[in-house]
Amino acid sequence: MSIDTRASDAELIVRSLTEPDLFTAVFDRHSTEILRYVYARLGPDLAEDVTAETFLAAFRCRGKYDGAWPDARPWLYGIAMRQISRHRRVEERRLRVLRSAPADGPTEDHSDRAAERVTAQRLGPRLAAALTALPKQDRELLLLVAWAELSYAEAATALGTTTSAVKSRLHRIRVRMRHELGDEYPVNEENDDE
Amino acid sequence: MSDITALRELRPAPPPAELEAMRMAARERFMAGAAPKRAPRRWRRPVLAGGLTTAAVAAGAVAALVLTTGPGATPGRQAAAGHSRTVVTTAWTVSEDADGTVSIYLHEYANPAGLQRALQADGVNAIVRPIPYLLETGFNNKPVVRPTCNYYVTSNDRAPLAVQGAVLTIGRRALPALFVIHPDAMPPGSALFLAFMANLPHSAGNIALKPVVLGNDAAPACVPVPAKRPGQSAPTPAAKAGNPAPSSLPKAA
Repeated sequence: MSIDTRASDAELIVRSLTEPDLFTAVFDRHSTEILRYVYARLGPDLAEDVTAETFLAAFRCRGKYDGAWPDARPWLYGIAMRQISRHRRVEERRLRVLRSAPADGPTEDHSDRAAERVTAQRLGPRLAAALTALPKQDRELLLLVAWAELSYAEAATALGTTTSAVKSRLHRIRVRMRHELGDEYPVNEENDDE
Repeated sequence: MSDITALRELRPAPPPAELEAMRMAARERFMAGAAPKRAPRRWRRPVLAGGLTTAAVAAGAVAALVLTTGPGATPGRQAAAGHSRTVVTTAWTVSEDADGTVSIYLHEYANPAGLQRALQADGVNAIVRPIPYLLETGFNNKPVVRPTCNYYVTSNDRAPLAVQGAVLTIGRRALPALFVIHPDAMPPGSALFLAFMANLPHSAGNIALKPVVLGNDAAPACVPVPAKRPGQSAPTPAAKAGNPAPSSLPKAA
């Protein structure tokens, strides 16, 4: 087995059909990112297990991978999302905790970011409450964009829908969030996504 | 600041060391799961004390049954050839199937020596060790558990990943845990290693290492864990001893 570090995810996945060990390279490329996302959604108790299950599910259905997507991240996030949805109660508990206390987030402390963090932490409980109130599918989309940092097109791939559908749904979700949070909420319409 | 930025700021994130430990553990589990499997086998929950007699009579498959109770229970003798054998204690059940596979069903972590004997009686070269610990009182009078020493299984100690996948199937790690062992896939000289904090009070949780197949049957040493001074994070014993980073970290089950 030889792994070309420049090979795209699509190449690795296609080749892994005959050389299964190559899928390990896909794990190594994307597991940290997927683990971070699962951790943010479900917390430390399930992060490891759900990440392993995500990649195992991906490995088992790699024959269905669309080779036209060179980057496997959206596909992996789609699988992770389905694994996470099996633990909805855990996620809801976690959001309840976020509602009562700000998150244990990153520790960088650049001054601009520090200011943003203060604002975010002040809004934290209300944001978490608003997240909880969102329908499951809307929450999935919002967190794919906010926490997984997927572009609209990537989120559309993960959700199996179109980019324009993602744009309009996200707009509706953000209007709803603003409504849930009231007028104090400092939403601006900056383009976070692309 | 937009709502998306605010959400990003609030995203819970683990410390980098914890993230990497979790990633390595997930990788190991992925590798074990993706390794070629031996003959497919349906999960069968070991028969517990409640339904034991009925199941045995109905199936007529249990030629000899060892039923003991209490954490100090001693496993019994081998059943007649070709038949299954089950050892039940209040903490765990070890069940050997007619096809030679051995299931460990743990509903609490206790009696490591008895578990080792039961596994060895079923042909599994097992090393089961307690992780010594101190119970301290923490915030709000909640018990805080501190290991006084711990086991660090390095990649040099482990059997190859293909062997891990062939020997050990982890049905569920959290209690009640289920592990299935295929003793005939264990290379000569290898050993199954289990370690846990035995008899922890319920409020303190359950702490165990992930089961692993060792390349040889030398039990890893329990490396003393230095006491942590207030406000200071203690170095890992492995790092202090100049060993490679631990590849198997304690995990709350």
